[in-house]
Amino acid sequence: MVTLPSGLEEIIADDEDLARYLTSSSQFNATMVKPAAFLPNPKDRETSVFRHGSEPRDRLWAIGVEHAAGGRNLHGAAICKAHHVREAQLEVTADEPPPRHAAIRGWPFSESDPELQKARQKELAAVIASKAVVVHI
Amino acid sequence: MLEPVSIVGLSLGYAALYPYAYGSSAISSEARAVREAVSAVVESAERSQVLFGEKSVAISQIVSLAKECAETGWDGDEAAPINQAVIHTAVKFIRALPNDVPLPEFAPEPDGSISLDWIRSRNRLFSLSVGSTNRLAYAWLDGSDRGHGVAQFAGERIPPRIIEGILGIMNHGNVTLRS
Repeated sequence: MVTLPSGLEEIIADDEDLARYLTSSSQFNATMVKPAAFLPNPKDRETSVFRHGSEPRDRLWAIGVEHAAGGRNLHGAAICKAHHVREAQLEVTADEPPPRHAAIRGWPFSESDPELQKARQKELAAVIASKAVVVHI
Repeated sequence: MLEPVSIVGLSLGYAALYPYAYGSSAISSEARAVREAVSAVVESAERSQVLFGEKSVAISQIVSLAKECAETGWDGDEAAPINQAVIHTAVKFIRALPNDVPLPEFAPEPDGSISLDWIRSRNRLFSLSVGSTNRLAYAWLDGSDRGHGVAQFAGERIPPRIIEGILGIMNHGNVTLRS
């Protein structure tokens, strides 16, 4: 069993919480986080998340401010379980540094039809978003 | 004898039709027909004004979102900015939405597209991406059913399957969603 610099195990357990930080108030509403919040970055084809749940709240925001917000305001975080990602047929793997960082990988990509690729990604992002809980700052 | 009344409405605004629509005590069949026709015009005009107002708000939200996400890295990572072409297509889409289709919420996407979302509940939603091409990617969740598709939008007429998809989710209708 490999232990990472953060002290976490390298393998992410199914019941581990994952936090996706929200830098725009448009990324969620009163009902849920919107699917767009979980879409991958088109450059590295990954969605950046941190291995943290809604508590302790101070540490959740400290990680977000230091490693995720890039100087922008944080509006909240969408918290889901690793198994929610895996149920969408995606992978989530540890990706340190920074500490506790992980990446959602395995998004469908198609060079020949970018819009179809996007549609597939949106469906999977919607599946994850439907399971996630928004924690507000 | 509807024409003179219509001319009054056009020249003075539909408010001038209120006396004809609601104030008349006429009892002849012709007068009743006129009153009913005028009432329909007034109701239609009022509905249009309400919808135009709502669409104006939606368009303002698009512009505001684009301002918020005008620079690379708006997500704290490497997200692309929302550009003018995307804004124009999103505005055209809103203007082209039929009046019986609810207006969406908006969200930025990491590739610089704008997501238009119709959310009835966390398991019933329709999400459509407006990007820099005339092909729209969309996906939906409908309870345990889900799917995705791509449709063309040239800027004027919204593809029927997108309309059906939105209404199917928002009205809890029996419309079958198609990819």
